[in-house]
Amino acid sequence: MMEHWLQILVLGLLLGGVYAMMASGLTLLFGVMRVVNLAHAAFILIAAYITYALFENLTLDPMISLVVTMPLMFGLGVGLYLLLFPRLEESPRYVEMTVLLTFGLALIVEGLLTFTFTGIFRSVRPDYAATSLTIGDIFLPTSQLYASLISFALLILLWVVLRFTKTGTAIRATMQNRAAAQIVGVNVRWISALAFGLGMSLAGAAGSLLSFMFPFFPARHWQWIALLLALIVLGGMGSIKGAVIGALLLAVASAFVTDLVGPTWSPITFYLTLFVILLVRPQGLFGAKVRL
Amino acid sequence: MALLEVEDVVAGYGAGPDILTGVTVSIEEGTSYCIVGPNGAGKSTLLRAIAGFLKPRAGQITLDGVVMNGSRPDQMLAAGVCFVPQDASLFPMMTVRENLTMGGYLIDDRALLRQRMDMVYETFPILAERRAQAAGTLSGGEQQMVTLGRALMVEPRLVMIDEPSLGLAPMIADQIFEKIRGFRDLGITVVLVEQNAVKGLEAVDWGIVLDLGSKEFEGPAEGILADPRIRELYLGKAVASKDKG
Repeated sequence: MMEHWLQILVLGLLLGGVYAMMASGLTLLFGVMRVVNLAHAAFILIAAYITYALFENLTLDPMISLVVTMPLMFGLGVGLYLLLFPRLEESPRYVEMTVLLTFGLALIVEGLLTFTFTGIFRSVRPDYAATSLTIGDIFLPTSQLYASLISFALLILLWVVLRFTKTGTAIRATMQNRAAAQIVGVNVRWISALAFGLGMSLAGAAGSLLSFMFPFFPARHWQWIALLLALIVLGGMGSIKGAVIGALLLAVASAFVTDLVGPTWSPITFYLTLFVILLVRPQGLFGAKVRL
Repeated sequence: MALLEVEDVVAGYGAGPDILTGVTVSIEEGTSYCIVGPNGAGKSTLLRAIAGFLKPRAGQITLDGVVMNGSRPDQMLAAGVCFVPQDASLFPMMTVRENLTMGGYLIDDRALLRQRMDMVYETFPILAERRAQAAGTLSGGEQQMVTLGRALMVEPRLVMIDEPSLGLAPMIADQIFEKIRGFRDLGITVVLVEQNAVKGLEAVDWGIVLDLGSKEFEGPAEGILADPRIRELYLGKAVASKDKG
């Protein structure tokens, strides 16, 4: 019985690792720019489709295609930010405007993907998609293991960048107090563009990894963004630590619910937990009291 | 030539009305100033416009004769103009040391950074004691010292301080004013905005009185408080006419 619970825990943590990376990108954007990027999951899908195209045409391993999707999404992020967001900065309704803007972006991406790849389910099937490892009595689906390891590696990399580089420190400073960052001479527009790029490159990595974990279709992003929003609100908007812990907690919780009650109840675990946490602690687990 | 010239500057927020309706002030190097005036006179707005946080709608701001209109805050800072806003605006989750390091964000020379930090610790010994503590956990007065110390990191030519005594106990406020007076000995020109006109003017050489977005008059700090026009501005004409009986 003990092995069984351990098994569920491990499966939850593996999935949680990938969720953690997706949620970190989203919460980073919110922290630096106060932008709730509703298109985040749509951008994840773009990377998934690019990975799919590379696999189908060049049989490029989806884990290697990270090398393509991450810089590509980084560039797209910086470009989109500089093109669309600075003109909204002056608006007294900045937050509302960015919600509309990113909602619109999500619709555009969905439309373009449907047009290019049609609405049918796709998935990338490398050799390791259907294999698994066993350690003792614990069985590890290879694809989830790889995806999770890469996610944690990228999260550590993100932490190192934010903690130990000058630019990273400037990003953290901007997250904590945008006005103060400007006062000490941080060019917050450039830092925001960079952070948008960073968040998007994490979305790029997530897309490549999800492509061989779940089947996907262009409208799939609505499901994912709902889940991601639940994760970052739970962790505390703008807290990367919160997003990671929230993602691991919820993934494990939903794995247990799937096992005990049945898979139909798994998605609702997220929203139910979110509901309870918000009742008890409205700012999320690690969030500062919100000041928009 | 004055260090900073503000000529007929008009400015306001968003699509709102003009808060500054044409201000002209001249800041000389080595002199300290306090801008006083009733609520809504545009004191903070003037500082924000100079610091590059607010683009003037008209008029001109020159530093050493170079036109600086529409410069970004980081460009103004690089030019030697440092702004310390009202609400001790620091990085709450970072330590005091990290906050000071962020103050030297524009400095790439690490040896120079360390040297400046030692200088700040000398000026504010309490910050040396608190260096490893998260800034958000400090008292109001200590937080204000962090923002002042952070301003010193860039060795600015001009420091503009908005309401340094806001929300502080009188004794703590006095300590802050004492430190600000010390800035002059470091060769830094100070422009202060202060709601508490008496305290503010005591700490500086020259007073500038603002009302309704433009300069009412200016003069030596000790003379300003005695000026009958100040009374009229703060207490209103009704009181003045009551005096006449």
